[in-house]
Amino acid sequence: MKLNWLGAVVALGMMTGSALAQYPNKEIQGIIQWGAGGSTDVVMRAVTPHAEAVLGGKVVMQNVTGGVGAIGLNRVADAPADGYTLLMGAENPLLYKVMGLGQKDYSDFVPINLIARGIPIIVAKPDAPFNTFPEMLAHIKANPRSVKFGSTGPGGLPSVVTAMINNKAPMQIIAVPYDGDGPALTALMGGAIDVMPAVLGAAIENIKAGRMKAIAIFDTQANPALPNVKPVVETNPEFGAFLPWGPFFGVFAKKGTPDDVVAKLTAAYAAGVKHPDFVKLMDTRGFTIMNISGNEATSFLAKWQSNTAWLLQDAGVTKASPATFNIPRP
Amino acid sequence: MSVVRTRRPGEAVFSLFLAGVSGFLLWTAFGISGFEALSSPGALPMAAAGTMLVTALAVAVQTLRSAPDKAQTLARDIVPMPIVLTVVLVAGYALLLKPLGFLPTSFLFVAILIRMLGGQGLIFCAAISAGSVFLIYVVFRVIFNVLMPEGIVPEREILAFIGSIFSGAR
Amino acid sequence: MQAFSAFLIPILDLQLLSLVAIGTFAGIYIGAIPGLSVTMAVSILISFTFKWDVYPALSLMIGIFMGGVYGGSRTAILLNIPGAPAAIATALDGYPMAKRGEAGEAIGITTVMSFFGGFVGIIVLAVAAPLVSDFALRFQPRDYMLLAVLGILLVGSLSGDSLIKGVFAGALGILIGTVGLDPLTIADRFTFQLPELRGGISFIAVMIGMFGISEALMQLHDVNKAAIKQKISRIVPSWGTVRKYLPLSLQSSGIGVIIGALPGTGGDIAALMAYDHAKRVTKNPEVPFGEGAREGLVAPETANNAAVGGAFIPMMTLGIPGDAVTAIMIGALFIHGLNPGPMLMIEKPDMFWFIVGALTMANCFMLLFGLTGIKTFVKIVEMPRSVLIPLIFLLSIVGAYAVNGSLTDVYWMLGFGVLGYFMKLYGYQLGPVILGVILSRLLDDNWRRAIISEQESLPMLLKGIVTSPLSLVLMVSVILIIAAKTPLWRRAFGTRG
Repeated sequence: MKLNWLGAVVALGMMTGSALAQYPNKEIQGIIQWGAGGSTDVVMRAVTPHAEAVLGGKVVMQNVTGGVGAIGLNRVADAPADGYTLLMGAENPLLYKVMGLGQKDYSDFVPINLIARGIPIIVAKPDAPFNTFPEMLAHIKANPRSVKFGSTGPGGLPSVVTAMINNKAPMQIIAVPYDGDGPALTALMGGAIDVMPAVLGAAIENIKAGRMKAIAIFDTQANPALPNVKPVVETNPEFGAFLPWGPFFGVFAKKGTPDDVVAKLTAAYAAGVKHPDFVKLMDTRGFTIMNISGNEATSFLAKWQSNTAWLLQDAGVTKASPATFNIPRP
Repeated sequence: MSVVRTRRPGEAVFSLFLAGVSGFLLWTAFGISGFEALSSPGALPMAAAGTMLVTALAVAVQTLRSAPDKAQTLARDIVPMPIVLTVVLVAGYALLLKPLGFLPTSFLFVAILIRMLGGQGLIFCAAISAGSVFLIYVVFRVIFNVLMPEGIVPEREILAFIGSIFSGAR
Repeated sequence: MQAFSAFLIPILDLQLLSLVAIGTFAGIYIGAIPGLSVTMAVSILISFTFKWDVYPALSLMIGIFMGGVYGGSRTAILLNIPGAPAAIATALDGYPMAKRGEAGEAIGITTVMSFFGGFVGIIVLAVAAPLVSDFALRFQPRDYMLLAVLGILLVGSLSGDSLIKGVFAGALGILIGTVGLDPLTIADRFTFQLPELRGGISFIAVMIGMFGISEALMQLHDVNKAAIKQKISRIVPSWGTVRKYLPLSLQSSGIGVIIGALPGTGGDIAALMAYDHAKRVTKNPEVPFGEGAREGLVAPETANNAAVGGAFIPMMTLGIPGDAVTAIMIGALFIHGLNPGPMLMIEKPDMFWFIVGALTMANCFMLLFGLTGIKTFVKIVEMPRSVLIPLIFLLSIVGAYAVNGSLTDVYWMLGFGVLGYFMKLYGYQLGPVILGVILSRLLDDNWRRAIISEQESLPMLLKGIVTSPLSLVLMVSVILIIAAKTPLWRRAFGTRG
């Protein structure tokens, strides 16, 4: 960091207090990878005020979007590793390398907190001629190249779930791309597409209202938010090999950030995530709280990356093999 | 078509330039995905660049055919000095914004530009500049938390210091 | 009927009422300053109002939304820099009015018409929300595509003297809109492997450059010319004026509500569509369009404020955002423990009526604040140019930077400013460029979705269009507009193009 005279004076003034315990002595920037109003944005803006209270400092959040989140990630990677610039992101960066979107991913960052993960669910339009997962597969088999699946581009949740299904039960479908699960679910309600793999929280209210029907929860167990919907492993246990899997949200600091700063941030966010208001919000949106950090988080990231990257590699949608980047096959 | 226009200084060059750029963009657009499919990511870019090329060529032909306007000159009517200088100043602003920081760069920019355009006294220029920069800073940075490059001014420390005065010593 | 009483809460509760007022007042300025957007303000408010109850939080946000959509017209009229994309069409005729010394009158008309449009939007939201949202859901990718084509045809009316130059400008705009990583396939488009280009070119930077910078550069030609004296006698339009434009403002409001209610289109497209509509239905404007026609202010301003009510329709009935601002409000409702979705209207109808009430009050405050202080505002244009122009540059640069906090955007703004300056000098209109940028994504994404859905077959797509009543109506409109421009049609029907 550049030394500047006024900063030096101010810093000197602060030094006279207790030396190292002063970490947030100015505003912290939080760079949100995704746009305002999206899931990542809502989660970060909901949890951060609780963390601020513990931290005793202010976190100013800014949405830096574009390039599937790569622009925001690079912004934080270019900032000094002093804990004053944080990355608030989702799972996508773990796929940047294999998707040819950049040379950086979460291995260049220290996870402060992996907050929560989402559960995938397969929904269909209400008048679709199938009600369960096996019925859906049979229908697709009987009518090749006619069932329209919503998608959100390569690397998005629908593409991964579709790759999982293709891996065990190859199917011929039309994948119609949308720029987010919100617009795709809207299209599903309007009948423009037939099936959409989405995150549970985004679909739940519409399922309750009967505007779309749930085919299967793509997880190892049923979800309390929708107790009547069967998990996919109940009818098709072969998918158990990939599960549990889901998108997630996390707060990250650049690698090289001083340990005491990381510790302080970790403690603050760990407390923030536990706040009852936030827990309630996550429950209603159908997210599962993880609240992990340190080595536990690092190994979760590594496992997630190796599973997903190789799955996409086997499905033939990657630009470069995970092997090129030393991502081990699970 | 209806009105016979005369050609202004530099217009022929500009129309050829646009045609050249359009051609280059069409070539680039073709490189996105070629003629792979109607739904390919390169389809609309190729259509747009193609339209640009066709229209730009038509405009270029029209322009080259029209008679030049002898009454106007490039230096007086198209790119007079104040405009060149202003563009250079804005570019300079963008270059200095990161290293020098928002506050000093903006102050210098506005003061120099007012001085250059109106020739008012130095104090007048400095006062107007300082006042407007301060106002913009308060609105964007303090109220809306838009983070401007700090450069040599340790803004966050100063703001935190001012904040600590108001919130009382902890 | 018990739920309906919630309509009165924001009117009778003094605290909520003042929050709506504060929000509206702030919104007008947020809207007016390029680079500050309602989207930004509302997302900051989420963390700010986090611990509040949901009613006060919503009151503030709704005020800002209503005020902000209106506020964009201020700078569009006074400085030719639309404060927000929805005010682009307003600049086309508003700025020429200011140049003639009629800025006060332009702001007056804009304010009253925004109020009118806002009101129509609220009424439609209150009485027909479920109906409109079911209609909006019926729009398929091919319909959005046709809507975009309909929008692109506006190039015809924005081109000025040379249609061919207008078409060039429109195509340039569409191309600018495609730069960056393709959101559907993440293929690189015109990025030349540069990370700065992968995120695309910021639309706001293009807008500020093309409108603000190029105009400021133009003005440098005669810096020392005295500023235009503004007439400030006539500000509030007379009842006669309002009545004269009543049919047009009703039609524009209708366009605004529908476009606003469609997920994926918002006030900016609504305003441009309404502008085009006005141009087509106004046979003999007192002043030609583009040179300060009042109709050119009435139509976009009623439409973009009507789009506010429209945007709430899918949000309240289905939990689907009608635009970027309602997307954030849905997030805010979640944080405040509500579940926006189709069940919200059934489980918490009072929330619906509360929002209708708050919108109504915000609309009234907008009229109140909009009509006061115009005289002071208009003084801005009377500043000496040697002071005003540097300030326009500073505000433009800061505005372009603020949107994404990116220096690259400042360079884009300057580049497009210079390009726009030359295009202006050589007889190109800049309106089509902005139109192209706005519609690029809508056209590209939906064309591709439509053709993918039909297995890449054009005949199948055509069949899909003619067998759906909605698509057919849109298709026929497209054909009629093109046909009306051809010489054969004009000879046969004697209409002026």
